This record gives sequence, structure tokens and C-alpha cells, in this order.
Amino acid sequence: MAEVKKNEEPRIGVFVCHCGTNIAGSIDVKAVMEYARTLPNVIVADDYQYMCSTPGQNKIAEAIAEQKLTGVVVAACSPRLHEPTFRNATKAGGLNPFRFEMANIREQNSWVHMHQPEEATAKAKDAVRIAVAKASLLEDLVPKSVPVEKAAMVVGGGVGGMQAALDLANAGIKTYLVEKSPTIGGRMSQLDKTFPTLDCSQCILTPKMVDVYRNEGIELLTYTEVEAVEGYIGNFDVTLRKKARGVITPAEAEARGIVGGGCTGCGDCVDVCPVIKPNPFELGMAPRKAVYIYHPQVSPLIYTVDFDACVKCGLCVEACGEKKAIDLEMKDELMTVKVGTVVLATGYDIFPIEKKFEWGYKNYDNVITSLEFERLICASGPTGGHLIRPSDGATPKRVAFVLCAGSRDNTGVGKPYCSRFCCMYSLKHAHQIIEKIPGVVPYIFYMDIRSFGKMYEEFYYRIQDEGAKFIRGRVANILEDPVTKNLHVNAEDTLLGRPIDMEVDLVVLAAAIEPSAETEKTRRLFGVSCSQDGWLLEAHPKLNPCGTTTAGVYLAGVCQGPKDIPDTVAQAEGAASAASIPIHRGEVELEPYFAQCMEEKCAGCGLCVNQCPYGALALVEKDGRTVMQVTEAKCKGCGTCGGFCPGGAIWMQHFATPQIVAQIDAFLLGGEQ
Amino acid sequence: MAVKKDYKDQKLAEKLRDRKYYIPDSNPEFIKDVEKIGQTAAHMCYQCGTCTGSCPSAPRSSYRIRLFMRKAVLGLEEEILTDPDLWLCTTCYSCTDRCPRNLAPTDAIMAMRNLAFKRDIIPRNFLQTVQLIYKSGHGVPNNDANRAARKKLGLEEEPETTLKYPEYLPGIRKILDHYRLKENADRILAEGE
Repeated sequence: MAEVKKNEEPRIGVFVCHCGTNIAGSIDVKAVMEYARTLPNVIVADDYQYMCSTPGQNKIAEAIAEQKLTGVVVAACSPRLHEPTFRNATKAGGLNPFRFEMANIREQNSWVHMHQPEEATAKAKDAVRIAVAKASLLEDLVPKSVPVEKAAMVVGGGVGGMQAALDLANAGIKTYLVEKSPTIGGRMSQLDKTFPTLDCSQCILTPKMVDVYRNEGIELLTYTEVEAVEGYIGNFDVTLRKKARGVITPAEAEARGIVGGGCTGCGDCVDVCPVIKPNPFELGMAPRKAVYIYHPQVSPLIYTVDFDACVKCGLCVEACGEKKAIDLEMKDELMTVKVGTVVLATGYDIFPIEKKFEWGYKNYDNVITSLEFERLICASGPTGGHLIRPSDGATPKRVAFVLCAGSRDNTGVGKPYCSRFCCMYSLKHAHQIIEKIPGVVPYIFYMDIRSFGKMYEEFYYRIQDEGAKFIRGRVANILEDPVTKNLHVNAEDTLLGRPIDMEVDLVVLAAAIEPSAETEKTRRLFGVSCSQDGWLLEAHPKLNPCGTTTAGVYLAGVCQGPKDIPDTVAQAEGAASAASIPIHRGEVELEPYFAQCMEEKCAGCGLCVNQCPYGALALVEKDGRTVMQVTEAKCKGCGTCGGFCPGGAIWMQHFATPQIVAQIDAFLLGGEQ
Repeated sequence: MAVKKDYKDQKLAEKLRDRKYYIPDSNPEFIKDVEKIGQTAAHMCYQCGTCTGSCPSAPRSSYRIRLFMRKAVLGLEEEILTDPDLWLCTTCYSCTDRCPRNLAPTDAIMAMRNLAFKRDIIPRNFLQTVQLIYKSGHGVPNNDANRAARKKLGLEEEPETTLKYPEYLPGIRKILDHYRLKENADRILAEGE
């Protein structure tokens, strides 16, 4: 391994794929194939309509057996698509699968040079020549298997995270559910009703919250955040920060030797607490004390002390009495857990819609967001379910709903994407006010009503029938009457072709959504990519929507992109299923692209050790010398050490210096060697 | 092409004329010309109406900027260039400020005005403005009422422009002459008389 193992006599087979007209439409496949025959070491060259089809794969296997090939080159699509396919075909022919090399002549050639057939063909010849040069130097490699820890972690305790945790736990996997807030439930617990069935959101969510709390396979870690992550698929070491809650559970009380103690959720502490703060669960529209729960259905039912507000007067400690549940000296604690796979379900926040100043949010009293509307229309909300105008507490009779408020916006202030569920909840909002306020008229300002889900279009039909007025036009601006605090909504009814100045009592902005504040930090800890708009990036938008490019990390819910509740739950179940596979298999194969130390060349300087971003390298004593040693399971084959080593003592398997130099030579020399 | 029907009564003929959109009536190059002159991707308009909703001209006239954007995308060149509404934009740029597709509808309108002027389609008052600029350097020259108001406010009677420094007027005339703006304005006005 440490030697340059030249194949005794390289015998390479080249296969050029037409991919229908995807490649053959702009590249002269026959010419590329004929050219390959002239290259050194090439024993056989062939072409086929679809190399990935069974007959195409058989060609490879047969050629290996008949021609005693030592390497295989397929010129086709991206290795991200079919490298595994052709490696299997290579293996089926009796060769080590790592003797296969792919030349991408589709994504990086025919698709981008569609109108330059001659240049595209010349480039394809270059790609094939380079691949042949590397294939001539490829060596046998064996993937490494590592055991998988039989535990999983779910980050985020909204409906997606809860579902993923329940599925994992019910599949027999120990699951840590980490939630930054004092309770699970997430956004869904803030909603009043859900479209299109009009189920009470809390009513369908609370049983799930109880299931999570009671499930023995789930270790519920609320008021906890991810602090650091080390390791790789099968073996993640996750450090968690259990934020000081100031209140201990009955179990923790028992551990401290307090018999029958711990928080029972009685709420005696709240009555005596002198500090009043806005409740973030009610979006600041209702007060809470410095010791608090978000709402009566929280899970776990444990109070939390807000140490940023607490004056440590000790009245709550007295009120708690013998239960001794309150500890005002509590400090944050760090804990480390080992898990095999991770599901991220970090959810979303509302885009700060006050940035679109033409709509006057936070400037005009009677302009509210849809999430504030949910709390105001909810029976357990700050007004007991009575929708009021914030300016005077009156019941609004004319309510405007502004759709695409900050969504589908390319100005840079706003979001270019569709937030996907605003159309439907705004229809639901229209229904809710018609139901509760006699004589009310909802005016829905829309560009397109996107009612794409099951029974959604029917719901749209129903709301239109109930009397909601639809105005096809985006709201240009909103002005406030300074005396009445009524609002003038300016838009164009594009179907009439007439500008509108509509005076209403209340405006509800269906504000765009964006990744939650913690998403960026969390994704960096787990090494997950994000797309341009900040949503976490799935491994493939269609064929692998729950996975990420980081092995062992999966996505559930809105953190991957805007989704309604049914889609979130479905994706959570998919992510849980995907995350359980490596755990049930018990071991995972790692690509053998590890760095190897060529000990006779290694001077033991140790410069590489600090360069490694994965902590995979260490200095060891061997035969009386200091040499570097690689922990293969930690090595990701990034090549940092290999490029850096002053003595050239590090061999990057599958991307070794001689192999890369041969590729460069093949390109620069134009095939003349 | 629209089907022509002949009615003796011209009013009836206008009322019953074929109003369908036919592809041969449209010029696909028109939107490209508008975008090239206006430097805005007008074909990306999604017809939300924010422009017309923001427009100070729309509530008091038949001017609908959204409709001009629509017609431009469809290449209805004749309809646009011969529509007198094209000249009702005040170029306040409210639509450009608020357009969610980040387009500049104002600049698209100005581009269409440019194209209309190339075909001598332009309201007479715009041409008279050209003549005034040529004469004084101002589209709206100073007058006695304004001079009195300026004096009252403690300002000089003439502002810091060609009105105070007429020696710079030849420079302005040189620019107008270079583009043959005055010449064309004079010609079109004369032809219309």
C-alpha cells in the first residue's frame, strides 16, 4: 500500500454511454470510442445506448472476464449518479470495485456545451484520456466497516422532531430528543386550528406530546442545546448544554435525596413571583412571570426560571416548600451522549416583516402577523379566543389578509421562495372569523391561491362559498388613519384592472418564513450544507429528500424547506426510517479513501497532526521511531495532510499523487506519452 | 389576424370588432427592445398589480402600468405605442421601489416612450417642453410669480441654473442638437398644424 503499486500490465476497458440523446445529442460518441482505442493500455473500447441498463452493465462484466481487464472506465454521467452502479458491475466481473473510474461527459460536458458539438467531443476525448491514465494506476481497496451505536438523536421538538423520535423509539432505538425551549410542541402548539380539517391543533398535538414524554425509548432533553459534535456516522459524540432551569424534576430531587420532592407543576411559585415579562409563546401579547410555563399543556410539566429576569428574591423557594423543587443557584450542565445517527428538525421563524415598511407592521397598531392572529383567535390565547383590534380592543368587521407578505419577493428584502402554507392558513383564518364574528367580511389579497394538497382545493371552494372576498392583487402599501386607526389597503384588483383603496379594521400579514435562528449554528456543528436561502440541503431533491450529504445526518420538516404539517410528519417518518437503517444493520461501510502513512518516509515531525480537520492523525512510537498514524474511521480523505506533508510521506488512497500526476500529464501531453 | 366584418354603422363595427389576441399581431422582438433600452427584465413581470396599486396616476386616469407590462410581454407593439395612456406616467418610481420581482416598470415605460418617439408618436405638450428646454434650459421656466416667491423667501430671483448663467445654454443646445431632438420636435409640431 505504501508503495506505488503499478499494475503489472494495465489492461483497461473503456465504455462510452450515449444516454439516449443526453450525451449523443452533442457528443460524437463513436468518435470518442474510436479515440479511446488508440490510447495506451486500452484493450477494449465500446459504446452503448444506456450503460446503466442491465445489458450495459453486462458488457462491463463480460469484458473484464474475457479480456482480463485490470481497470474499467465508463464515460457517462456524474459519478454521484451511477458510480455505485458501475462499481457493482466491475465487482460482478471479478475486479475490485475501486478499479473503476468514471469520466463525466454529461453534466460537465454535453449538457453545458449543447451547441458546440465539436468542442464537446474534443473535451470528452480529454476526459476519457485522463480517466484511462488514472485507471491504469488504480489499486485494490477494501472498504472499512465500523460499528453503529444503537442510539439516535433528534434535534428539535416540534411536530416533526416528535414524530421522528417516536418512530425511532418505537423501532427499538434509544432516542435523545433535544429541544431548546422548556417544552416540546413547537410551532404547531401555537396554532389554533389546522387546515383543511379544522382540527384543534392542540387537541391533536397533546396526545403526541404525552406519547413522547411517556415513551421509555425517548430521553427527553428540553431546555437543552447542542454544544459540540464529534465523530462520524455510527459514532457521533454530541455534547449537550442543559441550560440552568432553576427547577428540578421529581427524578432529580430523588437523586439529591429529597423524598417526594421536585416540581409537580402546581404553579404555587408563579403566584408569588414579583417579576413580569412578556410571554414569547404568546408573541409578547400576554405576560408571564420570571418562573413560568409556556401554556397549560406543556410537556414536561416542569416550571422554568428565567435567570435573565429573576431577581432571586426567594419567594418562590418559600412557596415551593417541602418539595424543594426550586434551585436558584443552578448552573448550566454539559453532558455528552453517543449516537449512531441524527435527525435535524430545527423548524422555522417568521421573517421580520417590519422590514417591508410599506405594510407598516410594528408601526400601525392594527397590522398583525398571521401567527399573532393564531394566538388571538385561539381560545387558550391572551384574549380567550376573541379577535380584537390591538389599538382599541374592538371587534373588527372588515379584515384584510395580505398573502405573499415577503414571500415570492426578489427585491432582497423578503424571500424569493413560496412559503407554501400561507394560502391555506389564510383561507382557514377567513373561515374562523366568519364563524366567530357575525357580519364580518374577510378580504383576501392574493396573487395565486396555491391549494395543492389533498382536500385543499375543496377547502378553498368551501371558504369562497362561506363569503370570503378574494381580490387578485398584491398589496402595494397600507396607510393608517391616525384618528380611527383604521387602515387603508392600496392594491390593484388586477382582474378588474382598477386600483383599490380599501378601508379595513384589521390587516393580517401572511408573513414569509425563514430558517429558525438556531439552524445555522446547528447545521455547522453537524457539517450539513444549506441552500442559498438558508434551508438545510437534502442529499437529492427528489430521490433522497430526507438524507444529507453528511452520512448519518437526516432532515425532517421545515428546516429543509417550507412544509405544512402533513408533509412535515411524512418527512419525519421518512427521516426516522432512514436514520434507523444504519442502526439496525449494526455497521456501516466507509469509503476507503483514507490517508496512509508511508512510515519509511515519515520523519515524525507531526506537522500534519494539527492540519487535520477531523482529528484523525496522531504521532506514535513504532520500532523506536516516531511516526504518524491514521485513525481510519475518522479520516474523511480530504487530502489536507497529503498535500501538506513536507516529506511526501502520506499516501491518499484512490487519490494518490502518482495517480493525480498521471491525470495531469495525460491532459497536458494530449495523450502523447 | 383579426377577422374583419363590415357594418355600415361605424359605431357598431367598433363595438363588434374582433378583440382576440392573435400571434401574428404581436412582435416578439418588442419586449427585447424594451429591455435593452429600459435595462430591466420586463418579461419577468408576474402581474401582481403592486405597480398599479402604488401608482399616483392610476386612480385618476385610465393609465395601468401593469397592463403595459403585460402587453409588452405579449409583443403588442402597435397597441402600446399608439396608446395615449403611455404618456400618463409621472416617473415617480413608486412602482419600481415596490416591485417584488425587482423590476423597474418606470424604465420599461420610458423605453416604450422612446420607441414611440422613434415613430413620431408623441403628445404635443412633450414636444413643447423640448422647445422650452432648448430656449431656456428648463422644461418649466421661471415666471414672475415664482420670482416673487423666491424673493420673499430671501432667495435670488433666478435659481443657480441656466436662468442665472445663460452662458451655459449653448452646451445644453449642443446636446439637444446632437440627438436632433429640437429639430424633430419642430418638425412634428409643424406637421401637426
